Amino acid sequence: MKGDTYTIFYATTLGVVCSLLLAGVSAVCMPYINANREARKGRSILDALGMPVDDKLSARDVLAAFDEHKVAKAEFGGMEIYIYESSGGPLTAVPFQGQGLWGPIKGFIALEPDRTTIRGVTFYEQQETPGLGGEIGTPDFRQRFRGRKIQAGDTSPGIRIIRGGGATGVNEVDAITGATMTCEKVELMINNAIRTILKEGMENGS
Amino acid sequence: MAANPAAVMSCGACGPSCRQTLNEGVWTNNPVAVQMLGVCSALAVTSRLENSIVMGMALIFVAAMSNLFVSLLRNATPRRIRMIAEVTIIATFVIVFDQLLKAFYPEMSESLGPYVGLIITNCIIMGRAEAFAMQNPPAISVVDGIANGIGYAAVLILIGAAREVLGSGELLGRTVLSPDWYTGNLVMILAPGAFIALGFLIALANHIKPPQTEASK
Repeated sequence: MKGDTYTIFYATTLGVVCSLLLAGVSAVCMPYINANREARKGRSILDALGMPVDDKLSARDVLAAFDEHKVAKAEFGGMEIYIYESSGGPLTAVPFQGQGLWGPIKGFIALEPDRTTIRGVTFYEQQETPGLGGEIGTPDFRQRFRGRKIQAGDTSPGIRIIRGGGATGVNEVDAITGATMTCEKVELMINNAIRTILKEGMENGS
Repeated sequence: MAANPAAVMSCGACGPSCRQTLNEGVWTNNPVAVQMLGVCSALAVTSRLENSIVMGMALIFVAAMSNLFVSLLRNATPRRIRMIAEVTIIATFVIVFDQLLKAFYPEMSESLGPYVGLIITNCIIMGRAEAFAMQNPPAISVVDGIANGIGYAAVLILIGAAREVLGSGELLGRTVLSPDWYTGNLVMILAPGAFIALGFLIALANHIKPPQTEASK
């Protein structure tokens, strides 16, 4: 029978060897993983701005497309926003993030040149329940935001995600059935971003 | 059964015990269809054929590598901590595969979600390490790992193919059932479809090869 000393020695050696192997693999993979993360964000921004890129594009090609469209980064109310000079005027993509039902949700809301009409909404990080809350990532749900306003008819700020259908107001979109919690959280985080946009917009006098 | 999958695969280099190991892992003692192990991931990732293939490859890789190292270390491993040692080895290879997937196939990594990481807790891997690799030499242990990986992958591929065809009329993303006359059956994409497909598959496997009863063992 092997003694305690040997057991401790064995466990330590096995642990160290395995961690060294993992550290090595991680060092090799990390640059690729980071590039993929950047590309996912870039793809999300371009998609929100209405210039979707092919899903199959590699990380490098997505970042190249990003430069090609001359999407400029800018500081706005403590947020990093992205501006694209379209022929109709500047389009802005504003980030939003917050806690979803199972994990963080991150995305972009893009506005038309008037800065009150929504051009697109995208999510590039979310772990909501597949088939229910996860549906926020589908084009069908994201399309519902297009053309909506970021404030109600009486200029009270924010969008509303309406349960049970019947979204009629200029700032209202229909919720996803079975994803009430996710929709509430998404509404909250988008409205946080909208509040900053409206507040900063007023201060800048634009 | 004329076309025994293991018999087709076995080659000159593979002796009788090797052939038997392959045959058991892939067919007579198939980890999913016969032993009912790894059912959770078999249900969760099979909504598309491509996912099934990658998940199957992950399992073949992890089972072969962990069996190899568990077997190499089997005489040096203190009995009291053998399971912890097995899990450490298994986790290492699962994380390696997960990292490679994240780096070089990010869409698939996202699509499989947490299920690659969860291979660490897959009963098939742990079961083979404990039941086979701890008692057998390295070479045959690798064969056993690959055989069980193939057995698992085969089940996933059959379910994945059935669900993708019936659910969305596609196979590997290509349309096979024209949307003009076939409407995708959403049930097959969602969780119940996985249960239905697995049920039919197990029934079919039992029909071809009646299940062992306690008496016949």
